[in-house]
Amino acid sequence: MSLDYVKFSPGFDKFMPKEYRDMVEHGPFGKKTTVSQMGSFKEILEEHPMCAGCAMTLFIRLAMISFPNPEDTITVGTAGCGRLAISQAAVPFVYGNYGDQNAVASGLSRGLKLRFGDKPKDVVVMAGDGGMADIGFSMTLHSWFRKERFTTIMLDNEVYGNTGGQESGMTNKGQVLKMAPLGKKFEKMDMIGMAKLAGCAYVATVVPNNPRRVESVIKKAVLIAREIGPTYIQAYTSCNIEYSIPTDKVMEDAKSVETDRYAFSEHITDEAKEYLATRYGFKEYLPKPATAAALPKA
Amino acid sequence: MYLVADIDVDICAATSCKLCTQYCPEANTINYDDNAGKDKGHKYGSAYVAVDRCKGCAQCVWVCDNMAKHHAIKMTMIDQLPKAAITDRITYLDKGTKAIAAPVEVA
Ligand SMILES: Cc1ncc(C[n+]2csc(CCOP(=O)(O)OP(=O)(O)O)c2C)c(N)n1
Ligand code: SF4
Ligand code: SF4
Ligand code: SF4
Repeated sequence: MSLDYVKFSPGFDKFMPKEYRDMVEHGPFGKKTTVSQMGSFKEILEEHPMCAGCAMTLFIRLAMISFPNPEDTITVGTAGCGRLAISQAAVPFVYGNYGDQNAVASGLSRGLKLRFGDKPKDVVVMAGDGGMADIGFSMTLHSWFRKERFTTIMLDNEVYGNTGGQESGMTNKGQVLKMAPLGKKFEKMDMIGMAKLAGCAYVATVVPNNPRRVESVIKKAVLIAREIGPTYIQAYTSCNIEYSIPTDKVMEDAKSVETDRYAFSEHITDEAKEYLATRYGFKEYLPKPATAAALPKA
Repeated sequence: MYLVADIDVDICAATSCKLCTQYCPEANTINYDDNAGKDKGHKYGSAYVAVDRCKGCAQCVWVCDNMAKHHAIKMTMIDQLPKAAITDRITYLDKGTKAIAAPVEVA
């Protein structure tokens, strides 16, 4: 894994598809690309079969643009809608069995640290709410309690989208779905609370109707996971099919859900703040200059 | 036939706010051509849609209408577009892209 793995063997470039050549020559590898440059460079994400207008697709697209070092990143996923896109990108993708993703990522990130030492290799898990909070619940929680250093991102569409609308632990109480016709009987699980309890160094909730904020939380989470500890992002990524949201109203829905019950939140430990400030120059975490009132009186 | 997004260069190139591509769920579907519209005397370049990648969700229409408030994007039947950009005819430059719009063949 390095910048070279995307390049062509000499003589083969003319046989490669245009999209691949564009990606090697004008992709984000070895450069800093940002959300504000979208539409002006070739992205690592390719075409994929996720539904038209799916907010999860938008989130995955934004996340991939925000990876601090795409050439040194491996994604881990599992059964569910997201893997249909995550696997169609120019970063290596590991497909765990349904629910295994945080166990696979634990071994992978430890192995990469043994093999590459201090050279950062980022492991990013992206999986659905069912895969993470139901089937993979124990493996998710245990990886956090063990302080495994990688990023976990829940693509929270509050339903089992890929299999046609069963309720998950992250579905809201009372929600009626195709395969939950009487409505869900229990509360939505507090995975944010559990992530904090388990000692994640950075925990955030985000909605993709604010691309720059998505960029900021992904960058922070991936960088903190390199050295400080596990990081968790929970993203509201509506399923317009199972929740019958007209595709041109997906961002309107995101906005109202953000206002009602999915407000942006960020929890970051002091150690992680100091690390981001000193190592990566994050201005927001530099110690504030003492204000006049705080200065001892002469 | 099916709908794809179509961007009015005259409206877009007047401001070129570059908002819609940040909300299109599909990668490299709404791109920017910094020189589009210059021949008509516009100050900025314009966004354009690579119609072969557009899934017709109309999220960009909502964004341009409600967030940018520019009303530059309309959903149009693909066989009604006199010309359109497609991935094969896009050139990536060091900064931005260049698209050649030409009639599209729809099977
Ligand atoms: C062990 C196992 N059980 C069941 C399945 C079937 N299965 C595939 S995707 C899926 C649901 C995915 O739901 P979620 O994780 O919430 O992701 P979404 O599709 O909503 O993004 C299930 C149950 C499977 N692939 N493997
Ligand atoms: S089923 Fe739902 S979550 Fe899955 S791709 Fe379609 S809209 Fe997205
Ligand atoms: S949102 Fe509208 S005005 Fe802004 S770049 Fe897109 S098409 Fe042009
Ligand atoms: S209609 Fe949807 S897929 Fe097509 S350009 Fe607009 S946002 Fe992108």
